[in-house]
Amino acid sequence: MQKTTVVVIGGGATGVGILRDLCMRGVDAILLEQQDLAYGTSSRYHGLLHSGGRYAVKDAEAGKECIEENTILRKIGRHCVEQTEGFFARTHLDDEAFEGKWVEACAKVGIPTIPISVEEALRLEPNLSPKIKSVYRVPDAAIDGFRMVWQNVASARKYGGRVLTYTTVIGIEQSNNQVVGIKVRNTLTGEVSDIACDFIVSAAGSWAGEIAALAGINVNVQPDRGTLIAFNHRITSRIVNRLRPASDGDIFVPHGSITILGTTSASVNKPDDTVPNAKEVVELLNIGEALFEDIRSYRMLRAFAGTRPLYSADPNATGRGASRGFVTLDHAHDGLKGFVSVVGGKFTTYRLMAEKVTDLVCGYLNVKTPCRTAVENLVEDTSPALMAKARLYFPAYGAELAASRLGSEGLEKVIARIQEKPEKRQLLCECENVTMAEVEEAAADSTSYMISDVRRKTRMGMGTCQGAFCTFRSVGAVDANGLSWGKDTNVLFKEFLQGRWKGIRPILWGNVMREMELTRGIYEGTLNINGAIDNEGI
Amino acid sequence: MKKHHNNPDSCTACTVCIANCPVTAATRKFRGPKMVGPTLERMRLSQDDIEPSLEYCSNCKNCDMSCPSGVPISTLNMLARAKYFKNRKRSLRDWILSHGEKMAKLSAATPGMANFGMKMSRGILKKIGISDKAPLPAYASKSFIKLFKNLKQTSYPDKVVFYPGCFINYNDPQVGMDFVAVMQANKLEVIVEEGFVCCGSPLVVNGFLDEAEENAKQNVQILKKWTDKGYPVITCCTSCGLMLKQEYQELFHIEGVAEYAKQLYDADEFLLDLHDQGRLNTNFGTLNEKYMYHAPCHLRAQGMGLPGVELLALIPGLDVQDADAGCCGISGNYGFKDDKYDISMEIGSGLFKAIKDSGRDTVVSECGTCRLQIGHGANVKTLHPLTLVRKSYEAYHK
Repeated sequence: MQKTTVVVIGGGATGVGILRDLCMRGVDAILLEQQDLAYGTSSRYHGLLHSGGRYAVKDAEAGKECIEENTILRKIGRHCVEQTEGFFARTHLDDEAFEGKWVEACAKVGIPTIPISVEEALRLEPNLSPKIKSVYRVPDAAIDGFRMVWQNVASARKYGGRVLTYTTVIGIEQSNNQVVGIKVRNTLTGEVSDIACDFIVSAAGSWAGEIAALAGINVNVQPDRGTLIAFNHRITSRIVNRLRPASDGDIFVPHGSITILGTTSASVNKPDDTVPNAKEVVELLNIGEALFEDIRSYRMLRAFAGTRPLYSADPNATGRGASRGFVTLDHAHDGLKGFVSVVGGKFTTYRLMAEKVTDLVCGYLNVKTPCRTAVENLVEDTSPALMAKARLYFPAYGAELAASRLGSEGLEKVIARIQEKPEKRQLLCECENVTMAEVEEAAADSTSYMISDVRRKTRMGMGTCQGAFCTFRSVGAVDANGLSWGKDTNVLFKEFLQGRWKGIRPILWGNVMREMELTRGIYEGTLNINGAIDNEGI
Repeated sequence: MKKHHNNPDSCTACTVCIANCPVTAATRKFRGPKMVGPTLERMRLSQDDIEPSLEYCSNCKNCDMSCPSGVPISTLNMLARAKYFKNRKRSLRDWILSHGEKMAKLSAATPGMANFGMKMSRGILKKIGISDKAPLPAYASKSFIKLFKNLKQTSYPDKVVFYPGCFINYNDPQVGMDFVAVMQANKLEVIVEEGFVCCGSPLVVNGFLDEAEENAKQNVQILKKWTDKGYPVITCCTSCGLMLKQEYQELFHIEGVAEYAKQLYDADEFLLDLHDQGRLNTNFGTLNEKYMYHAPCHLRAQGMGLPGVELLALIPGLDVQDADAGCCGISGNYGFKDDKYDISMEIGSGLFKAIKDSGRDTVVSECGTCRLQIGHGANVKTLHPLTLVRKSYEAYHK
């Protein structure tokens, strides 16, 4: 039986933040994730590192937390944060009176807002609608959810942290009202095992209610579904927020090669209600048109949805009415010692949430080491010498991206693969510029069990063709490398293509439709994937 | 005015452009039109880096032609090249090759001396990166503009405006004179506007986009002036035609190009239109001669078929066979560059072989630099189609 001091449940931003904080303070910890890291809400959002402007008017405290954490993360997380800055733009449809209130509220909590002329805004962002009325610059930034989670894990691992993915919690073991262990099942093998521990921290987000229920405790988390659209290219190089009371479809965030538009808000019953639909997409486009009038001429890549873990002590509060602040629930008050749930909150403040929870846990464990997550970088900068070396081996526009995804150690390994076999330099994913060597490195990681796991680590398959060409290449690479999880290539094909299809289906018109027909031609026509699966009776 | 989105959104990554790219077929140094064009365009919008193989795109436009999604791939490459050179020094070689018009004006006083000097200085040119093997054109002793001024035309009520372009004006004025003779034979008076400047094609391919835009603005103003009055404008150079008609729209945001483009014609196309309307002078004398024909890429890119072949088919006795063997490799000044010469010859090798296999000793083609390259690569004589049309009209009266 494995033993640890603290088990953290949930491989999203909060969970990995807690894992890192605990490990940095010398507390032994294991993180459990039912799927892959960043599978849940931490990758199913717009990736905006809020300046706080969005919350300033209605929730000054959330706004203040945002600007403080934003400032910290731009420093410690510069390999997952892109300092794009942001605009708040009021369109002709928005209430002028709100603008003054907003400027005042931002000033009150210390969010800098710099007014610029519409003309200047259009010069900086030519795709913006010329009908906008006023524009302010704010210190928003874009943060890559996948990379941020991975970099927290990489940092935690350095301090001895362990991570088990595809591991779901099926029971909380207690003795004399004290947590003594946790029962888990590996979702890939079905194997059930126990982990002995003194403490459990549930950072399961929208699933926190389900986890608490395993201990017979009621935690009222209301999953609130948000749908977003990813566009094929950077239609803006800055974040653009609509200057109005927070509502649907008013945030555009550029991320690397793409732009994300979000978000909708609707209460749902299940935390994994994440299949987007065409109606939501059309609604988002209708709203988005006020900021980018040519929005319908920009190609969409896919739609995706996540669920916000809204918490309220009041079981009737829902949607944007519920607080976006976070709450730490010490279940000692419910009669079970050694069990804490952290609920609510938002991505931007994940580190602060982790700090508060870790303070609480360390108090119980009598650990006095102070928190250092605000001062120690998530990953160290890649040395100029290593970057220069990387540029010799990676194709153009590839070295910086690979370095930010891989970190120095990973980068060295991928370079070594290319040095050994120069043909591994070729791109497996041309749209997102991912080399064969990097895909092989990610596939060989102990947390990879399917092609989608490789995708989340590399961005492979997340560009223009949405897997049309990289699916057969990556399946081939996994097969050729003789990886234990790559034995049944039909299953690999199906898992990846179906995953892509989920986000494509709600936007199936125009160029996307043409792309999909090409994909269908490759996999159904040329490779006869469905026929192969049927013939082998799977 | 239609907003031209030079964004990569229509590309489905189908790779048809790669299969049709003559440069990709000739060298592995080029990563291919899809990668360098629309795929990297997404990256160029998000970060600064240098794609070393961008310089290998020849702007021949076979990618654009083959794209089933209408992506202006080569234009994306040219814009990327301009962006690359925005803050970098251009080589003397690229400046010289891009400024044929300026060079010609400098040499215009003494073209004989300039040609002599050029022959003597091929060694020097080689040192700055111009191949000593490439078929550089010689300057004509008198420019087309000079010859035209001394020409006495018969005045007719129907007039056309001629855009000669640099190659015809400075290197091959006879084509321009043949054009005027053919127009006169069709009772059309030719107007030549001296305000026209280089179309910008040689500037664009070497990243001098700002200068090309200045030229475009001047040309557009003149073109609009004449087409607004209802005069057709005619070119004999297919690269000039493509630039004035289509590339201006893709590269720049200048009002009115789409409108005048409807009245801008290639000379062969214009004559065929006259024929369709029953207005073409069909007093063609018999020419019992055999020729090969090469369709320039920039003609094919205009999507007008092969008007030269159709036109020449009207001439009795004339046997013109379409080589149909792809790009000749020169692509304007691409093949003049020392580091591109071998690639350029490799691209043209299929065409050269087809010509040699035909046993015919003269090749007809609309494009001046194609003619240079074919003469050099296949060791044959070359002609513009209008030279044969004029010859046929003259044969009728003999």
